Amino acid sequence: MSSFGFGLITAAVLAIATVGFTMQFAVTNVLNLAYGSVMINSAFVSYYLNVHGVTAWVSLVGGVFTGSVVSWALNRFIFTPFQRRNLAPITVVIVALGVDLVGTFGLQAIVGGGYVSFRQSPGSEYHFLGMILSGLQLVILAICAVVLGLVHWVLKYTRLGKAMRATSANPNLARNSGVKVQRVISTTWLISGALCGLAGTVLAMNTGVFEATSAQLYIVLLLAAMFLGGPGEPYGAMFGALTIGLATEISAAYFSPQYKEVIAFLALLGMLTFRPYGIFGSEKTN
Amino acid sequence: MSVELSQPGLVLSTTALSAGYDGRAIVSDISIEASPGKVISIVGPNGSGKSTLLKALVGVVRVLDGTVSVGGNDITNLPSEEVAKLGVGYVPQIDDVFPPLTVKENLEIGGYLLRRSEIPDRIAAVVDRFPRLKEMMSRKAGKLSGGERKMLAMGRVLMLSPSVLVLDEPTANLAPMVATQLLEEYVRGFADQGSTVLLVEQRAKSALRISDWTYVLGGGRVVLDGAPKDLQENPLFVESFLGGSSIPK
Repeated sequence: MSSFGFGLITAAVLAIATVGFTMQFAVTNVLNLAYGSVMINSAFVSYYLNVHGVTAWVSLVGGVFTGSVVSWALNRFIFTPFQRRNLAPITVVIVALGVDLVGTFGLQAIVGGGYVSFRQSPGSEYHFLGMILSGLQLVILAICAVVLGLVHWVLKYTRLGKAMRATSANPNLARNSGVKVQRVISTTWLISGALCGLAGTVLAMNTGVFEATSAQLYIVLLLAAMFLGGPGEPYGAMFGALTIGLATEISAAYFSPQYKEVIAFLALLGMLTFRPYGIFGSEKTN
Repeated sequence: MSVELSQPGLVLSTTALSAGYDGRAIVSDISIEASPGKVISIVGPNGSGKSTLLKALVGVVRVLDGTVSVGGNDITNLPSEEVAKLGVGYVPQIDDVFPPLTVKENLEIGGYLLRRSEIPDRIAAVVDRFPRLKEMMSRKAGKLSGGERKMLAMGRVLMLSPSVLVLDEPTANLAPMVATQLLEEYVRGFADQGSTVLLVEQRAKSALRISDWTYVLGGGRVVLDGAPKDLQENPLFVESFLGGSSIPK
């Protein structure tokens, strides 16, 4: 049951990250492999705010802001210019991979290779249903619930959310309906980037210690969760994150934590083989 | 309060228009005019450039030369969202709805430029025109039949009360009876209420029946135009469109 508790926390952080990741893919058609790099850069901004006297929870806002602005800038100044040149989609994926390497190892060059940790106590331990969760982890679960609820509300009930879904389904038709698609895309990068920054920071807080390359393999979990739920499906991303989060942590209890990414990768391979459009996706998405 | 589904029509015209992709013209030297209260149809064989012409009018395809104007305003190469704002409603041939969105959400996106408070009345007016949509408001558009989907596509553009309706093969993939109803009841109906209707149609006979003027495209140019009754007496037109063989591409 304790591994189930770890799985819940992993799933919560992964859900925040995957929803942002899949929103970027759905609305702008960019498979942003630099997502993990933005996560860890955001975490370091939060960390430096924290070590300069800002409380960990307030410094979280710095991480969210960093993720949002950096993601918007990546789209505005790197991905969009490449997309405008009508190159094959794989070109943008390669560019994103390059950005990821520059972002991660550039950060390592600046902050060094050592491990750091937030000045934040994990809080008291709470026992229920056989699970042991810290106060910090309960707050992370609460943040996840609030954020996913907000994402659902925005997508389902607001004008912006409907415009995002319309743009994702058919950008030309959205334009013909009067939607300012470019503005919707920019806003999507700001929102999904905020989710990226938030996920990076709470991931770093939860793991206790982290360094510049800590999120490098996180992209495997993100891809597995996204493809499990269905590429471009925010609700699928929530489901995929829950499944991958629980599967990797529970399997870690039986094998070794080092195999977590392997389990996720096997899930990704299985999904791509048998249902490449995911549980919530359709063949058209594929 | 009654809500009008269309505004008084505006004149849509092109002058020596050339348009295409990657700098290569698909249609050339096209000068056409569509007036309020009239159905103007464009017919022609596959590949003659009909859909490209419509896309150029609404800002989807780049105009390389010539002009497009609506109500005297030059709209050449205006972004699609600006063209929509000026009262031009466009229903594409395919991908004409948002499949993952419900019928209601499709209509709401159709009314994106309206104030939030105006949307319920507009939806009620659209449903009044297409009553079958009423019972499927919460159904995803991707689950609709061809006819229902086309009604939704037309309802979506009517949300903004367009002055000009640009319809690209609205009867494609529809059963003959549904196609006839759509053209004679709805498309003709829009023009009879004062809107300007520009229609591209593969079913030449059906198009002629509801049109006031018809342009014939071949090889990306206007090769014939005239009133339907005159065209039906033109041996080349009859042979090409009402008989079987096609005019040269």
